[in-house]
Amino acid sequence: MITVKNLHKSFGKIEVLKGIDYHVEKGEKIVIVGPSGSGKSTFLRCMNLLEQPTKGEIWFDGQLITDPKTNINKVREHMGMVFQNFNLFNNLTIMGNITLAPVKLKLMNQEEANETALSLLKRVNLTEKADAYPSQLSGGQRQRIAIVRSLAMNPKVMLFDEPTSALDPEMVGEVLDVMKELAESGMTMVVVTHEMGFAREVGSKVLFVDDGIIMEENVPAEFFTNPKNPRLQDFLSKVL
Amino acid sequence: MNEWFADVAYKFQIAFLDGERWKLYLSGLGVTLQISFFAAILGVAIGIVVALMKLSVKKDGKRSLWSVIAQIYIDVIRGTPSVLQLLIMWFIVMKGSKNGVLVAVLTFGINSGAYVSEIMRAGIQAVDHGQMEAGRSLGLSKGQTMRYIILPQAIKNVLPPIGNEFIVLLKETAIVGYVSLSDLTRTASQVSSRTFEAFMPLIGAAVIYFIIIKILSKLIEKLERRLRKGDHR
Repeated sequence: MITVKNLHKSFGKIEVLKGIDYHVEKGEKIVIVGPSGSGKSTFLRCMNLLEQPTKGEIWFDGQLITDPKTNINKVREHMGMVFQNFNLFNNLTIMGNITLAPVKLKLMNQEEANETALSLLKRVNLTEKADAYPSQLSGGQRQRIAIVRSLAMNPKVMLFDEPTSALDPEMVGEVLDVMKELAESGMTMVVVTHEMGFAREVGSKVLFVDDGIIMEENVPAEFFTNPKNPRLQDFLSKVL
Repeated sequence: MNEWFADVAYKFQIAFLDGERWKLYLSGLGVTLQISFFAAILGVAIGIVVALMKLSVKKDGKRSLWSVIAQIYIDVIRGTPSVLQLLIMWFIVMKGSKNGVLVAVLTFGINSGAYVSEIMRAGIQAVDHGQMEAGRSLGLSKGQTMRYIILPQAIKNVLPPIGNEFIVLLKETAIVGYVSLSDLTRTASQVSSRTFEAFMPLIGAAVIYFIIIKILSKLIEKLERRLRKGDHR
């Protein structure tokens, strides 16, 4: 579904990604872990071109999206993204947040979008917040809405950029539950996170990114019990 | 004491009542408000466009040509006195135009646009960058995200300084006397030179300006409160 070839990304003189190759299959749940500053978020953000790669290719659904001729807006309609800081639209109600993109991109009319939004809100138990503004919600509620907002576009893949890192500890669970449910429904997911429990439980593969490359890749059981790379061993000893 | 009252009454009489002079003030106020109103609309329109121009970047992240043009416009307008801009407009650019109010509206609109654009730019930049990223990640274009997400928040942010700009604009129109338009200030000054009594007409005009601006700031305050309904932080 997503193929990354020889991905490099520099910010000014600093090279953050130093050649990443990876392939995500449909239905896979890829969990990316690594120390802060390792480039894992940049890697994720390159997948929907929120960061423009300096070098390399990204293929999505058989389309070379790093080609300048590709209409990236069309591609992004099929790639949901959830951010660390939720990034709900502050000027719109929850309903407005969820329905804006499908309606403005003419994928649905307002009634269809409202219906979709309501059924999605039901799924995350936030129906009563439909007319609230983001500032009236807790962090956990906001992140659940952010997930729902992406789902309203009916994406083929969901990217998560540290979705629980900005949450109070007691709210992490409710967001992870939504993500687990989403994983069970068969959604293809790429998740950057520090939640090792989630990686172990949900991930079909876990990647360890450090120093701008994928240092180790394995199924969760092996990844956590039998790490090979010394950097990973060191990392796991600190976070587990 | 009686004498003093009689004197004040007489001055009031010649300043406002004789020859129905109060009508002159009203028509002067009309000119002032007309120019201010349309110039404010024009200024905001120009301001938003120029702010977006100035913020535009090329694909490689460098300043665009639009941005350079916007900067030149802002520099020229802010770097020259508005009286001079008015005179240049009246005697050179729109020479031969019979419609003084139109010339004034254009002058003040273009002038105010430069200041509004910098206010708008600050307002746009104050909106969290994540808002743009979220919009783009959903497949919305830069323009759509700007229009539906960023600008509404930016405008709410800048309402206080924009209100300020409207007030400055309204008072600034007092210079249209330079091109012989009879606004409120010029009317007051004409009455005082005809009656040889300066106190009543000038103070009268000042009071009228004061009241109008008080009403204007109340309206802006109300609008601010209404737009703030989304944030209960």
